[in-house]
Amino acid sequence: MIEFALNYAWLVPLLPVLSFLTIVFLTRPWARLSSAVAIGAMLGSFLLASSLAWGVFTNPAFIEEPLHYSLRWLGMEGFTVNAGILIDPASAMMLFMVSLVALLVQIYSTGYMKGDPHYSLFFAYLSLFAASMLGLVISSNLLQMFIFWELVGLCSYLLIGFYTYKVSAREAAKKAFITTRIGDFGMLLGILFLQIQFNTLDLLELAAVIPNFAQLGVSLGLLTLIAILFFLGPVAKSGQFPLHVWLPDAMEGPTPVSALIHAATMVVAGVYLVGRMLFLFVEVPGSLTVVAFIGAFTALFAATIAVTQREIKRILAYSTVSQLGYMMLALGVGSLSASLFHLWTHAFFKALMFLAAGSVLHALHNKADVWEMGGLIRKMPITGWTFVVGGLAIAGIPPFAGFWSKDEILLVTWEYARHGHALGYLFFAFAALTAFLTAFYIWRLIFLVFFGPEKANDHVHESPLSMTLPLLVLAVLSGVAGLIGTPWTNLWSTWIHFGDAHSGEPAYLLMLLSVVLALAGIGLAFILYCKDQDKQAARSLAKKYPALYNLSYRKYYIDEAYTWFTRKIVDGGAKVIYLFDIYLVDGVVNGLAALTKGSGQGLKYLQTGKLQTYALIFFLAVLVLTVAFNLDSANALAHLGGVK
Amino acid sequence: MAGALNPSYFVVLSAALFTIGIYGALSKKNAIAVLISIELMLGAVNINLVAFNKYFTPEAFSGQIFAIFVITVAAVEVGLGLALIIALCRRRNTTALDDLDWLKW
Amino acid sequence: MNIDFSLLITEISLAILGLTVFTLGLILPAKSSQKGLGTFSLCGLLVILALTIASWGNQGETLGGMYLADYFTSFFKILSLTALILVILGSKNYVNSQIENHLEYYSTLIFATLGMIIMFSAGDFITLYLGLELMTISFIVLTSFRRTNGKSLEAGMKYLLLAGLSSAVLLYGLSLVYGAAGTVFIKEIAGNIAQGYFNPLLIVGLAMLIAGFGFKISAAPFHMWAPDVYEGAPTPVTAFLAVGSKAASFAVLIRVFLGAFLEMQEQWTMLIAFLAALSMLIGNLTAFAQTNIKRMLAFSSIAQAGYILVGLVAANEAGIKGVMFYSFIYVFATIGAFTVVSEVYNKTGSDDIADYAGLSQRAPLAAVVLLISMLSMAGIPPLAGFTGKYYLFITVVQDYLWLVYLGLILSMVSVYYYLRVVLVMFRDEPADPAPLKLGSTASLTLWLTLAATLFLGIYPWPLAKLANTVAIAFLAGL
Repeated sequence: MIEFALNYAWLVPLLPVLSFLTIVFLTRPWARLSSAVAIGAMLGSFLLASSLAWGVFTNPAFIEEPLHYSLRWLGMEGFTVNAGILIDPASAMMLFMVSLVALLVQIYSTGYMKGDPHYSLFFAYLSLFAASMLGLVISSNLLQMFIFWELVGLCSYLLIGFYTYKVSAREAAKKAFITTRIGDFGMLLGILFLQIQFNTLDLLELAAVIPNFAQLGVSLGLLTLIAILFFLGPVAKSGQFPLHVWLPDAMEGPTPVSALIHAATMVVAGVYLVGRMLFLFVEVPGSLTVVAFIGAFTALFAATIAVTQREIKRILAYSTVSQLGYMMLALGVGSLSASLFHLWTHAFFKALMFLAAGSVLHALHNKADVWEMGGLIRKMPITGWTFVVGGLAIAGIPPFAGFWSKDEILLVTWEYARHGHALGYLFFAFAALTAFLTAFYIWRLIFLVFFGPEKANDHVHESPLSMTLPLLVLAVLSGVAGLIGTPWTNLWSTWIHFGDAHSGEPAYLLMLLSVVLALAGIGLAFILYCKDQDKQAARSLAKKYPALYNLSYRKYYIDEAYTWFTRKIVDGGAKVIYLFDIYLVDGVVNGLAALTKGSGQGLKYLQTGKLQTYALIFFLAVLVLTVAFNLDSANALAHLGGVK
Repeated sequence: MAGALNPSYFVVLSAALFTIGIYGALSKKNAIAVLISIELMLGAVNINLVAFNKYFTPEAFSGQIFAIFVITVAAVEVGLGLALIIALCRRRNTTALDDLDWLKW
Repeated sequence: MNIDFSLLITEISLAILGLTVFTLGLILPAKSSQKGLGTFSLCGLLVILALTIASWGNQGETLGGMYLADYFTSFFKILSLTALILVILGSKNYVNSQIENHLEYYSTLIFATLGMIIMFSAGDFITLYLGLELMTISFIVLTSFRRTNGKSLEAGMKYLLLAGLSSAVLLYGLSLVYGAAGTVFIKEIAGNIAQGYFNPLLIVGLAMLIAGFGFKISAAPFHMWAPDVYEGAPTPVTAFLAVGSKAASFAVLIRVFLGAFLEMQEQWTMLIAFLAALSMLIGNLTAFAQTNIKRMLAFSSIAQAGYILVGLVAANEAGIKGVMFYSFIYVFATIGAFTVVSEVYNKTGSDDIADYAGLSQRAPLAAVVLLISMLSMAGIPPLAGFTGKYYLFITVVQDYLWLVYLGLILSMVSVYYYLRVVLVMFRDEPADPAPLKLGSTASLTLWLTLAATLFLGIYPWPLAKLANTVAIAFLAGL
């Protein structure tokens, strides 16, 4: 089985493609059958991926020498592109994680989407997404990866706008698509530069040639430009400041989509990609600092917004942005293992919380304001307690998954600071403060929604098994997924690392600090939102510091600023350009267009319909051709020395 | 052999015949006349083929064989042409080429 | 003379199939049984296609060098048969409702294909001429097939007379070349030219050959017949005429000009480049002013002939590869587009672009296929047409840069008139919103062409590699 999985790794993304095609072309009228097809294919993918991951992790050889095979895809002289598959521990981990979360989300969706008129289509899109994401993960080539990158973006667009009747959903889909396109454009430029400068896009080959960039005549400045351009793609896709604005709006999509795409998989593609290209970034020291800074800033920034949000999914969305910032920070300080470790644990607990939130919304018929909920844990015990597990995990309470990975990030940031990077202390402070805020906002949510007095919700009941089963599985994983990366037995960093395998000494002081921060956050949330039944203190705090509250609640007015920017600056600038345009450019363009059209109209009348006109033109052409040919040849012959 | 025929005479003859054919094809108003003009042009081709065969490759017969095939195919073409002209005559009541102007522009 | 019949397997079985269909049609008098003829021909053609693919690499020459079989002919045989199969598959509905004489329709189509194959497999001018005439005469019959339709007859008449004139010119050219080089065998001509058989007759003959073949591929200024005939002919015939006749004529053009006149390459490439440029210009510009979709596609096909000629200008391995690649992808785009046109005509009785309003609502598949086919013809990546154009134009970047620029500009211009149709289909509201039901075989054809156009655009390497191998073998075998 392992042997088979390794040799046929391309089957992992192919199976969901097949189910996508089957659903679209064959089984679309039969909803249940369609979901069965999708889940069956996903299960197949998951089994393959897990035996593949097992094979990779039990065989240390793969760390040094990744499994790589490819076939020629496009080609012309001097330019060939191979499409292929690259399996190393990082991609094996991703394959396992993506296929598992996708499988659970699909099972969950059979309950959540029940009765939707486009039920089959939803599963088709989910399958297409899973296929593209799995394809992205195992691509061996940047161009191939970029195609999948665009495909996941497309699926995200389709799924955010899945409720096409909702104007907000359509708008959000558009926003997501356009915002990420900004980043993708930069990334495409980066890829093109790489192709031009290094004449290859294969990841392994690039990893081999980029360290020698100076010998190849590539200046450091150019490489910096490439790295920055390249980084734009991940910034947009992984919702980093300042291109994070689309991610919270993306919550307009169905909740399973938010859990799968906008929490666990697609948004981490950016982190994964930067991790894959770390060999590029380490060559340009400045660019790594940029990555770390953006990561740290995004983490804190999004956490402060999450503190005051009222919609349950928005809180989780900002939490996702903040956690992605953590991952970027870890990459920026040079630790691939810490970053991917957090990616791994985050996938489980964030998917868990999203799905649990979906279960709540399902029960409350899409009433989303957390202030209007309360005491749900008695009505929905499974949803409630699994959410609590997720909350413990994200807050960083040992031994839940989030503790280990967050601790790892704090540790590497601290070490980074101690190795002479003054900015590192700032990053560390940001990260620590974020840890506190994270515990606070997530437990604020938990106390408001699940504890305290019950609000008038008569018909609330626990969700069906199809929805609670994935919750339970994810809750277990949120509990134990971190145990493979504890500082004592750090299996994780021997599997996935960049450069030397690094496993720091357990830093008990740091662990203590992070637990204290988490407990402080939870405690504050408890005091403000649970013990205080009327939430008087919380309200008065908001009243006391209205400026701060509004700043956070209005998300720092970023959206407004962007709107203002497009309205005033872009439109204003556009007016100037418009005048220029109508008088000058349009004149020329219209002139050309008119000329083209006019010549078409004129030439049309050559076609008189009269047979003998056609014959005449034919013979005239023969005559001209013969004469021209004779003159031409006469010259040539004269050159050769006369007619023989 | 001052008065003997040499190949250039045949080339000139066939060129003349070919040109007459072209003239007919361009100037005649009737479809049948144009068809006959095309036959003239094919006749010119045949003269060429046979003459070249005689003067340049007397040991092989390829030119003559070619000419026979040309004659055969020309007959097919004429047969088809006449059939079409009859159909047109029935349907649109004309054999004048200038009337064929439904398809234009 | 020893005749190696194994080399003639495609031709013999095609001839047998054509005659069988004809005889069967005569024996089975009932109208209903005539409908089975299409299925019968399809099955037969699939078998022949399989045979042809299986005998890939079966090379040699037979009938004393008058008939050749090599990779090159195999490639174009597969192309012609694929085109014929797609045309028959896509036209079943149209034939059932618009054409009364099924047996003649199918057998004539098969004979036209046989003519094409004989034409580009010919080793000498006599065989070439016979194949060419078999093809042309079959097409004349097919063009005027709707005997009760005045336009169809007019198109047939125009095609007959103009094709007659052009083959007279071609023949005159052939006879002059025969006189100058002293042989009708393509290979021997090359040898004789190399030895210095060089005289004005040859030059005049060559010019006339270009004219004759230029007529067949509808390259400007020999294109005048094409729009009228394309418009008047039954739509499936138009599709086959645009695809099969053109591709086969390109094959024979390569065979003759590279096989016999490679020595004089410097003299004719400039003229071919000129024809290519003129075709692109006239085709693309005149297409703007068209209101009839078949006519528009006719002008677009003239432009396409211009693009393909670019590969001949290069007159090297890469050029031949480009021509073969483009001819193959052009099969799918063109048949896809014309199948939509014939299905729409079948339901609405109109070929006007205006009547395509709201097609995206009435028949989404048809609208999408037309969109993809036309974008492919315009050369939008990642569709097959883009790759094809790339392979063609890259070959002349060094020597004829102006041609590349012209091609690029006109490709962009062409997007405009293609998009006009797209806008009508996708934006305008239909006059009659009732769904337009496509026939099942037509849908199958549309799916096949769509898949091929997308696949060859995204993953062109297998076909490109095949074309490359064939091109190398072709040049090595000269």
